[in-house]
Amino acid sequence: MSQQQIDQLFGYVQERCLWQFHSRSWDRQENIDGIISTATDLLHGQQPKKHAPMDRMFYADAKAMVDDLKVRFPWILDLEPTRVTELMAGLKSKLVDQTITQSLNRELHDKLY
Amino acid sequence: MPMVLLSCDKDIPEREKHIYLKVDGEDSRDFLPVSNAQTIPGTLSERGCAFCGAKLVIGGVLKDTIQMIHGPMGCAYDTWHTKRYPTDNGHFNMKYVWSTDMKESHIVFGGEKRLEKSINEAFDEMPDIKRMIVYTTCPTALIGDDIKPVCKKVMSERPDVDIFTVECPGFAGVSQSKGHHVLNIGWINEKVGTLEKNITSDYTMNFIGDFNIQGDTQLLQQYWDRLGIQVISHFTGNGTYDDLRCMQQAQLNVVNCARSSGYIANELKKQYGIPRLDIDSWGFSYMAEGIRKICAFFGIEDRGEALIADETAKWKPKLDWYKERLKGARMAIWTGGPRLWHWTKSVEDDLGIQVVAMSSKFGHQEDFEKVIARGQAGTYYIDDGNELEFFEIIDLVKPDVIFTGPRVGELVKKLHIPYVNGHGYHNGPYMGFEGFVNLARDTYNAVHNPLLKLAATDIRGGQRKVFLEAAE
Repeated sequence: MSQQQIDQLFGYVQERCLWQFHSRSWDRQENIDGIISTATDLLHGQQPKKHAPMDRMFYADAKAMVDDLKVRFPWILDLEPTRVTELMAGLKSKLVDQTITQSLNRELHDKLY
Repeated sequence: MPMVLLSCDKDIPEREKHIYLKVDGEDSRDFLPVSNAQTIPGTLSERGCAFCGAKLVIGGVLKDTIQMIHGPMGCAYDTWHTKRYPTDNGHFNMKYVWSTDMKESHIVFGGEKRLEKSINEAFDEMPDIKRMIVYTTCPTALIGDDIKPVCKKVMSERPDVDIFTVECPGFAGVSQSKGHHVLNIGWINEKVGTLEKNITSDYTMNFIGDFNIQGDTQLLQQYWDRLGIQVISHFTGNGTYDDLRCMQQAQLNVVNCARSSGYIANELKKQYGIPRLDIDSWGFSYMAEGIRKICAFFGIEDRGEALIADETAKWKPKLDWYKERLKGARMAIWTGGPRLWHWTKSVEDDLGIQVVAMSSKFGHQEDFEKVIARGQAGTYYIDDGNELEFFEIIDLVKPDVIFTGPRVGELVKKLHIPYVNGHGYHNGPYMGFEGFVNLARDTYNAVHNPLLKLAATDIRGGQRKVFLEAAE
């Protein structure tokens, strides 16, 4: 797992995934946490939780992303499980930094919608 | 490259904060245009008003609802029929326009009695219609007409009618966007949860932020029917007033236009625990992805794959015909906000088009985060663009086609550059698989139409006296 691999996934998510850009910081954090966690489970070949409505929503977004990642970045299939975990943690960290911590969006922390 | 101060803006340097030219290696952490901010004095803004955002964009789409505009006639006519959102009941919403037609004496003496009379007249004239939205406008808000008690009085006298009020005069915000917000929040607080409908499927959703422009909703509805998904409410394309009162019954909120309608999806999540799933409905790749996500949520992936296979087999060869002929065309997108980020990658990936400039009338910084993430380096990203800026940007990026509204469309027509109506479409629908072929066809016909170039020829050659434009 390298920074370059994290950057490739990050570039894909930035270009493709609307869930990282929801209206408020807490929505973005909730989506990033839920979808990256579910995607990590899927990449490990595990069945993610699908009981609660939000779990199913995370699954819907994560499944589309993981299916696409496997096609666009086939090297991901050859990674050791620990490397997959590190890769997705790196991706999550970069997404939080980009879309929440360093975001210049002045509406991100408004208390109301 | 940071923000850009165009030559035409030398006297209004504040505009620099609103125009960004992306270069490789930069992202929205480095530069993000100021947006949803007050229009700078001196700029020829293309924006609409807050009332327009509520009425023209969202409320006026409903197919069974009288839209009572409490104000002068112009506020009614100017927010009527320009959006072209048909309905499956004979286009009731586009056939009629309602106004209290406020004149000077009503402004002086107050307009509440006139409003009450107009509401009753409208219901009397249309006895089959039992639902109404009443909007304040600038003058009736300024004189303090209190429309809620008037509507409550009518409802107490006519128990079979229901009226929703939108108190969002034109000056309430910096652009149309405020009207979207006010209507969204008003509706969730006052109307959602006041009715329940019959549930006919194990899979239910609201489809939010699609306004049936030239049949978008009706095209997508064919997909949901084939998938066996019951749409509880369409917010608001081809939708009904009462369906929107039942939004709380859906298992999932699918959001297309996050700018105009993200508020109600957020509130439905907060108040009722219904998840919000954002999708793009324009473009083959995006539409397929959206269908896959919705089907994954409901656990009906097989149905989704079958639908995608059918639609792809039917429409992909036609899309590819246009792609072959549009490859490398340069497009500018000057619309409201979300279509910038919905379209830039879909026209690039599905049609080989290069998007060279994008301008948003009412997008927020969230929209610019999305579009800068998706758009190319070397492309201009503009908030609240003005007419002189459009001329200068055209010189800089030389687009082959511009997706914009009829007003700016007329402007660029004079430069003999083709435009396609990016708001109401030329010959839609544009959503879904078939819709994107329609968009490709209209783009192809615009780019390759020789008429605009022919229109620039003049048999008098250099003998014609040319008058200078005021801006020169």
